[in-house]
Amino acid sequence: MSSKTLMYILKRIAMAILTIWIVITVTFFVMHAVPGGPFLSEKAVSEAAQKALEAKYGMDKPLMVQYVTYLKDIVTKFDFGPSIKLRGRMVIDVITDGLRTSAKLGVIAAAIALVFGVVLGAVAALRRNGIADKIIMVLTTAFISMPSFVIGSLMVLILSVKLGWFPANGETAKGLVLPIIALSLSPMANITRLTRSSMLDVLGQDYIRTARAKGVPQMKIIFGHALKNSLIPVITYVGPMLAYIVTGSLVIEQVFAVPGIGRAFVSSITGRDYPLIMGTTIVLATLIVIMNLVSDILYKLVDPRINLE
Amino acid sequence: MKKLICMVLALAMVLGLAACGGSSSTTTAATNAPAAAEGETAAPAAVSADSINVCIASEPDTLDPALNSALDGGTMCSHLFAGLAKWDQDADGNLVIAADCATELPVGVENEDGTVTITYTLRDGLKWSDGQDLTAGDFEFAWKRAASTELGADYGYMFEVVKGYPDDLAVEATDDKTLVVTLNNAVAYWDELTAFPTYFPVREDVVADEGWATDPSTYISNGPYTMTGWTHNSVITLTKNENFYNADNVTMKEINFYLSDDANNQLSNFKNGEWLLIDDVPTNEMAALAEQYPDEYFVVGQIGNYYVCWNINEDILPAGSGLTGAEAEKARAEIRNAITLLFDRNYIVEEIGQAGQVPASSFVAMGMTDADGSQFYENAGHNDGFVGYYDVSEEAYESNYETAIETLKKYYAYDESTGMFTNFPTLTYLYNTSEGHKAIGEYLASAMAAVGITMNLENQEWNTFLNTRKNGDYSVARNGWLADYNDPITFLDMWVTGSGNNDVQFGKGANADTKAYSLDLTDLGYDVNVVDGTWAETYDVIINLIKTCTDTETRYELMHRAEDLLMSTGCIVPLYFYTDVYMLDDSVHGFFSNPLGYKYFMYCTIG
Repeated sequence: MSSKTLMYILKRIAMAILTIWIVITVTFFVMHAVPGGPFLSEKAVSEAAQKALEAKYGMDKPLMVQYVTYLKDIVTKFDFGPSIKLRGRMVIDVITDGLRTSAKLGVIAAAIALVFGVVLGAVAALRRNGIADKIIMVLTTAFISMPSFVIGSLMVLILSVKLGWFPANGETAKGLVLPIIALSLSPMANITRLTRSSMLDVLGQDYIRTARAKGVPQMKIIFGHALKNSLIPVITYVGPMLAYIVTGSLVIEQVFAVPGIGRAFVSSITGRDYPLIMGTTIVLATLIVIMNLVSDILYKLVDPRINLE
Repeated sequence: MKKLICMVLALAMVLGLAACGGSSSTTTAATNAPAAAEGETAAPAAVSADSINVCIASEPDTLDPALNSALDGGTMCSHLFAGLAKWDQDADGNLVIAADCATELPVGVENEDGTVTITYTLRDGLKWSDGQDLTAGDFEFAWKRAASTELGADYGYMFEVVKGYPDDLAVEATDDKTLVVTLNNAVAYWDELTAFPTYFPVREDVVADEGWATDPSTYISNGPYTMTGWTHNSVITLTKNENFYNADNVTMKEINFYLSDDANNQLSNFKNGEWLLIDDVPTNEMAALAEQYPDEYFVVGQIGNYYVCWNINEDILPAGSGLTGAEAEKARAEIRNAITLLFDRNYIVEEIGQAGQVPASSFVAMGMTDADGSQFYENAGHNDGFVGYYDVSEEAYESNYETAIETLKKYYAYDESTGMFTNFPTLTYLYNTSEGHKAIGEYLASAMAAVGITMNLENQEWNTFLNTRKNGDYSVARNGWLADYNDPITFLDMWVTGSGNNDVQFGKGANADTKAYSLDLTDLGYDVNVVDGTWAETYDVIINLIKTCTDTETRYELMHRAEDLLMSTGCIVPLYFYTDVYMLDDSVHGFFSNPLGYKYFMYCTIG
């Protein structure tokens, strides 16, 4: 790795940290500016009790003091504090619990999307305008256009309610099958289309023609030259996709009753559970930042032509 | 820089979510996914007769009985803990409050100062799930903790009737088996309170760990079940507690409370046989389900009222009416009471609610009993020929409508040719984001538009909505109240001036000095006869009298009078009494529920 690359990476990491700090700051102050609060409920608690609760969670202090304390706890102790609504639970535990499920779901779905997407994309490109290409294109168009909750609900209706093959709640391994498929279809379709167009582009390049002219075997051309080079745009897509799948599976979590992080995120906001809002936002933002960072760096490593400046 | 923009966008999305939350009090399916319509059940999943899978809600906020304020949490706590008393069924299947940890439910002894002391004796052989003995001291500790300001529990006020509330509660364990409690005065619903989860015992060394109620390994209880598993947001498993004194009568060995807040998801799991009871049914499927599953679809009463509340300080008089002070308030009350007659409640329950709700014309909900054991709401309004403060039957709608128009004509300009009022100020109807609330709001607005009154709709996300309504920053708002216990006071004391639930703003702002209320209780033997007094001089006074009244009949009469006063303001527009809709597989026997909405599975068998 050249020193220039290293400098680039360090600079990007510094940018990432700055980004996360901005997210923390803006979220913190906007969150407090939104009307309502964690102790508001349909059956109101007494004013004295409310004061006691505010003191317990440090919310009786000025906002700026709360902000500084929060930042200090995060940086020095990695302490996200206790959840206010889920009494007795620590924010970090709620996040770890949710993220464990969401990550399991997301990583498997991403792997499926990647493998099938690349293979189908390559097949479509090699059989351009053939029957296989047409079928693949129709299917991918459908998967991209259909929202995941429609696909998810259809799968529940047919595979769970009608046929009874899979449960409609996602707490067992068997229960995770449907949500994983539902989650992977759309990104898979995207990867298929990306691979196909990029592969078609590469197959038309001079160096492929040269290889053909030299009599290099077809298989070696495809795997050794064409596929490798046509995956570069796919790499840039995979990073953000992974972040999207892990963080954006809320709808799927809802349809299949999967205990992921998306639910904790939404309920924390409706309940004004300040520490949990901060915790989930920070973790999700960090995930997205890291994924983008990794894909940018990978991009550079696989394609030396890219100028880092 | 691009990444920075992305992050800002992501943040905007996060905050945008704040604008699309839902209500937690009443549930309406938000995603209308195309779930099965024909509804044949596929091969049922293997269900063991020793274990039952049910779903009553999503992840509970807490399973600490003192902190819990939700129905689902209450149901689970009622399986995990045993209080002095419990809800039970007698031999004929009628609901009763029976002694549980106490040997009996004794009548209190009245002291000279009017306070009432009750002495309980605990059963022999009571144990915690870890084998330790349960003592009266555990009750004393638990009650003092639950009521304390320091804990700040939502339901801390359930101990309001006990002397010394909140921080010096008059409850004492005189020995390991004897618990003595002193109440401010005789309380008609006291036995029922002792069956309420907030009154369940907890042990000091257990709750010293703040996270005790979130993990099965630290969750020590004393009821029919112990918690043996909690996969957060997924399932809570309860297993029969062999240390429970009444374990021989507990027939169901294991209960799995699945956690889902999506009505369509619950229905899918019911249809494929995974879950045997679901407590949330998609509204748009109700009619079809009632037909397809006549033996498995249940609508039962739930003590609660869905209503509309006015902000009492919203000036609805036409410009230049010339009325001020008490006169203006009396006119506004008449106007509000006229507008309430414009709404067809039968249409609302049949076309919008669709869950067997009952049209309401009084505030204290159906299900509350009166002094003589009859229904309180049937005696409300003191009218012959119909129930409540106005007739809400289908036949009466037309005449109600005409009465309303005639009354409104006294105050507003009316265009006879179009049948419209022309100078009614524009109103805004505030509701929390939900399809069901929206549909009702739209109906109300259309009914008012038909007579020329413009009412715009405004929806707010749940927490913002609560804040706005509480602060009185609205003109008309959606509201709802579910009873905490079977006594009408739970509906009435929320409207005293200082109550945190006084959304109408009675006795606040301009209304604080408005002398427009009268109260004559001399016929009941009280030295109270206020003519044109403030809200604090009338309503607050009568509520206080109810709370200290020891004679049952007088007390109930006072509660009727309080409701009369409340309804005369026209600020409360009852629409319907709530129902609880659930689906229960017909293989399940021995299930029962109570009118507060708690569900009991301990005596269930499957087969």
